[in-house]
Amino acid sequence: MTTRHFFAVSALLLSLSAGLLNGCKKDSSASSQPTVGTVSLALNNVAGSKAVALDGTTYTTESGETFSISTLEYYISNVVFTKTDGSTYAAPGVYHLVNVAKPSTTSFTIDNVPTGDYSGVKFTVGVDSTTTKADPLSLPGDLNPANNMYWVWATGHIFMKLEGNVTSAGNKALTCHVGGYRAPYSAIVTAAPSFNGATLPVRADHNAAINLTADVLKLFDGGTRFALSTFPTTMEPSPSSVQVAQNYAASMFTVKTINAN
Amino acid sequence: MRALRQLSARDRLLARGGMLAGLALSALALGLVAVAPAPLPPGAGQPANFPAMTYQLAQNQPDQATFELGRRLFYDPRLSRSGAVACASCHQQSRAFTDGRALAVGVGGRLSPRNAPALQNLRWRHGFMADGGVLGLELQALAPLTSPAEMDTPLADALARLNADPAYRRRFAAIYGPGQIDTPQLLRALAQFTAALTSGQSRYDKHVRHEAGGTFSAPEQRGRMLFVAKCGGCHATDLFTDESFRNNGLDRTFPRDSGRAHITARPFDRGRFKVPSLRNVARTAPYMHDGRFAALPQVLAHYAHGVQPSPTLDPLLHRPDGRLGIPLSDTQQADLLAFLNTLTDQEFLTDQRLTPPR
Repeated sequence: MTTRHFFAVSALLLSLSAGLLNGCKKDSSASSQPTVGTVSLALNNVAGSKAVALDGTTYTTESGETFSISTLEYYISNVVFTKTDGSTYAAPGVYHLVNVAKPSTTSFTIDNVPTGDYSGVKFTVGVDSTTTKADPLSLPGDLNPANNMYWVWATGHIFMKLEGNVTSAGNKALTCHVGGYRAPYSAIVTAAPSFNGATLPVRADHNAAINLTADVLKLFDGGTRFALSTFPTTMEPSPSSVQVAQNYAASMFTVKTINAN
Repeated sequence: MRALRQLSARDRLLARGGMLAGLALSALALGLVAVAPAPLPPGAGQPANFPAMTYQLAQNQPDQATFELGRRLFYDPRLSRSGAVACASCHQQSRAFTDGRALAVGVGGRLSPRNAPALQNLRWRHGFMADGGVLGLELQALAPLTSPAEMDTPLADALARLNADPAYRRRFAAIYGPGQIDTPQLLRALAQFTAALTSGQSRYDKHVRHEAGGTFSAPEQRGRMLFVAKCGGCHATDLFTDESFRNNGLDRTFPRDSGRAHITARPFDRGRFKVPSLRNVARTAPYMHDGRFAALPQVLAHYAHGVQPSPTLDPLLHRPDGRLGIPLSDTQQADLLAFLNTLTDQEFLTDQRLTPPR
């Protein structure tokens, strides 16, 4: 190595380490004056009046068909809170996979929410197109294709997966995989469950909580009604998968309680 | 990646143990790299007659040890549900990494809906699969691994199997550091092998690069001129594909496989499939996305007088006189066949570095 190269490398390393030290200083000064709090989101998964259980329990649709559920998984991402003054806070990097088979996944927390009084929340049920088509090498945690919520053949996540059997129709398999981000069959939808006039107070010293009811009957009993006996096996972007997505965006999620804690 | 990790490790040392020690260490490390450059895996270069590479090498820097790990994975049938099907089952080197079957056969003898594609020059590809549904080379390996008609192993199961194997644990740890084998490690390692499958040493390549061993006979030369005039609109550049999706008139309707429309859901895309490269084409029979043509003369006969009309038929297959296809006399077809045989890359098909690992 020449002397010139040695000095160039030294200068590079010096500037890198200086940057690192500065970064540490900023962190410590920020934590001494906290202006952010934590919000928990809990998903209470039900099918009509019954809690979703993966044990053969049957549920009844509005038209009287019965079915069981063996798998229920869905993504919640891009959570945006609205303050009572109308300003919004988009929580960065939230990609949460709810898997009813893993009870710990039915609630999660969002840190660093600016303190204040909030009057609303909205979120994507699914994953935004930029993230879902990203190189899987850059997809960590809940987005990892190893979670079996991923279509390799069309590169992107499955946003909502409900599997079971239609017990009123000879135990016919019920397979509902909703995904896709390309027009005309994009299934990226936003849910905005109303606070019904309540306020979510986010404070530095509390953990505020939004308890949501997630009613999977609304997949089939929404703006578009589906008969389970003839429900198409949905495993790719299609007109019916978009209708299911619009159904659950509109009415699956409702606010049960808001706790200041 | 490793270089990055070395840098950050050095950086941490600086912050912790003082700058002089860190500088001395880094100087030492850089010195060692300069003294003993690691050998590059095969196929890492850019053949002079190829268009620019689309693959970002920096995202998975070619590295001999990772290539060897990918090679081991590629030939390992334990990655399939049944333990009997490896990537290499449908992608055999002597056939330019195809399998000689019309439709690929997966675990339990299940048939894929499509012909196994050749694996070559993947660093120059835009999107993968005949319908372009898979966006990246690393991701591509997941499709056959997890498809029920192919290897039928959920990714989580494949990772669990690798993590239960002490030899694989050692091999991955030697490259990526200690810890569980994870998705990015598996996909990066596999892609190091598939990305290394560069075919650029055919007689055709030597001919256009004016290298020794590139002599063409008169029929081959005539075939080349015919090819450029009659086939080069789609099979463009020295990769012999323009990477577009086109309907080449195989059928009038597409009830079983709509091709590109399966991904885009646009009627405009029905019956369009990715224009395949013709490199090593004499070795990749049978032909078309469903393997319907057993031999190359049938393919040429299709273009000469077998093209079927449909709303999305490629404009290049509409002739000014209203007829369909590409006019090709028997002599012209013979010359074209002679030319297509010059695209066989014997060095690639027999490269010992690409064979099953010992």
